[in-house]
Amino acid sequence: MWMKKRYVLDLDGLQHHAVVARRGDETTVQVTDGAEPVSVDYAFVLGGRAVSVRIGARQQLVHLAAVGDGGKVAATLDGRPVRLTVMDELRAQALQSLGAAAGSGTIAADIPGLVVEIRVAVGQQVRLGEPVIVVEAMKMQNELCAAVGGTVAAIPVRTGQTVNPGDVLVVIEPEPGA
Amino acid sequence: MAAKRFKKVLVANRGEIAVRVIQGLREMGIASVAVHSDVDRTALHVLMADEAVAIGPAPAGESYLVGERIVAAALDTGAEAIHPGYGFLSENADFADAVEQAGLVFIGPTARSMRLMGDKLSARRHMIAAGVPVVPGTEDAVTDPDEAVAVAGRIGYPVLLKASAGGGGKGMRVVRSAGEMAAALRQTRGEAGASFADDAVFVEKYIEDPKHIEVQVVGDGRGEVVHLFERECSVQRRHQKVIEESPSPSLTPDLRARICAAAVQTARAVDYRGAGTVEFILAPDGSFHFLEMNTRLQVEHPVTELVTGTDLVRAQVLVAQGDGLPWRQDELAQRGWAMEFRLYAEDPSRGFVPSIGRIESLTVPLGPGVRLDTGVYEGFDVPIHYDPLLAKLIVWAEDRDRCIARARRALGEFVLHGPVHNLPFHRWALDQPAFRDGSYTTHFVADSFDQHAWLPELDEDARTALIAAAALYEAGRRSGHESPPGSRGGGASNWRLSALRSMTGNG
Repeated sequence: MWMKKRYVLDLDGLQHHAVVARRGDETTVQVTDGAEPVSVDYAFVLGGRAVSVRIGARQQLVHLAAVGDGGKVAATLDGRPVRLTVMDELRAQALQSLGAAAGSGTIAADIPGLVVEIRVAVGQQVRLGEPVIVVEAMKMQNELCAAVGGTVAAIPVRTGQTVNPGDVLVVIEPEPGA
Repeated sequence: MAAKRFKKVLVANRGEIAVRVIQGLREMGIASVAVHSDVDRTALHVLMADEAVAIGPAPAGESYLVGERIVAAALDTGAEAIHPGYGFLSENADFADAVEQAGLVFIGPTARSMRLMGDKLSARRHMIAAGVPVVPGTEDAVTDPDEAVAVAGRIGYPVLLKASAGGGGKGMRVVRSAGEMAAALRQTRGEAGASFADDAVFVEKYIEDPKHIEVQVVGDGRGEVVHLFERECSVQRRHQKVIEESPSPSLTPDLRARICAAAVQTARAVDYRGAGTVEFILAPDGSFHFLEMNTRLQVEHPVTELVTGTDLVRAQVLVAQGDGLPWRQDELAQRGWAMEFRLYAEDPSRGFVPSIGRIESLTVPLGPGVRLDTGVYEGFDVPIHYDPLLAKLIVWAEDRDRCIARARRALGEFVLHGPVHNLPFHRWALDQPAFRDGSYTTHFVADSFDQHAWLPELDEDARTALIAAAALYEAGRRSGHESPPGSRGGGASNWRLSALRSMTGNG
């Protein structure tokens, strides 16, 4: 019996679909974007960190690395780095039902660094685009700004703290209608 | 002076240059001592050295810049000489003095020539006296706006106000009319005072559309100086070089001969000892002007090594040992073409902001004409505290077109996951008409790079391959396998090969 799992992927803002099917120790993959699903011949190499993909006779080597745990994957193909989001369909549906509002008020670190200045306090009103926190990395200070207007709900970090990508720095409760 | 053979040399640096120097020493049969900060205990230069000494906490000001600890480490380990690399203490005359006072050899120029060249105004005066062409301007610091306006009137606008102690693009301001002068002078002096504790500012002619040409020289410290031809370093962002090449596509044989002669004249004027670089500005009309002299090995020295078939670190060591120069001028020639691409952990799409993090995977290019000087390996955490230069890809081929083709090939094989990096930027640069025909100037990146639209489009097969690979990868990861059952090929031998390449940067 084939066990099928459907995946929803985001590549450069475009949504794609793929199906991975297993039976015993056999695994196949199909990209199901067009009218006809495309089956590709593949082989994992480099200890599972790269996939050799063959479409017809065309060979492509895709290197992969997970970024954090949210289904974000970094890939490199022919020297070009690409970021993808991969989720199985159930997870994607669950996240969607959580609502679009979540996340936009959350400011997270996107590079590792040191919190050098917090410009807001919990309870404070902030405007869209207002600088709220300054993170220093490699002697460069990066000002992170509010992506929504609203009220500062939480600041889970303090000045002097080292942060990693994905760490939540400031949470803003969006203003209704903002 | 009888030549002395070093048995052990301390390398007062980190990253790719420390690795490069250790490799050179090992080839000469000289033992190496690495120094490192606490966070660099597992850095590549430490792993590669014969001995290593911890010299303090992560901030460079408490470790790599503390001259006394470095001298003490050399004395404790019985090293006879110190190689400073570039950056850190490499152009610090007080450090060079301290090294010599401790009875050790400083592998570099004398403290006197470092002091002379370290101050732009004194270097300028010295070069005028030596008959080397300098950019028209003042010989002394200017404090009075009226005087600055008078000078600018004489040499013609636009002019550049420049801090005498400045560097790295800081403390400079272009003035295009007399009306802007007073405010610009005040700001530049303020900036210079704050950044360099010296508010001396001078005025010089601002050269529009300049090219950055520099000449590698090596002197024996007794008046003998040879040049190893030029490098062109006009691809810059934030006033820092990112791609360098040798020869320069901009020089005619006649211009090359004159610019190299001027560089030798510059170095002779200070009885230069060791490897140094004389930087010039080349104007569109073919006139060239002395800019400054860097009294150390440059980041971009490998392009010269590949084109001239030399080893500059070995030359530095030989001169420091008192052996004199390893080559006569008539033994040196340029053969083929070389380009260097600096691999920085930085994001071209976000104003080249630095990035850090763990090197999750690293596959480096190999094959004909490819050299990689690296300071990192797979699994290494790029620390927050230092320059984000990770490695340098240097490519040699028989001519410029073939060099570009080889560079595109090598960049296509290069894979680094972890920090965001600028390898795709290099591919972009190689495809620009202004780079391909060699007409690019130092304004190249600012003028033609659009950070929102520079990555090439993916074709349909590429998208399909990425989608299939990412889905398979996620399926394998979530099921707890490294790769899904049924996967073919791969295996530990490939993985080990990749890890080995990453460790050694073997190219």
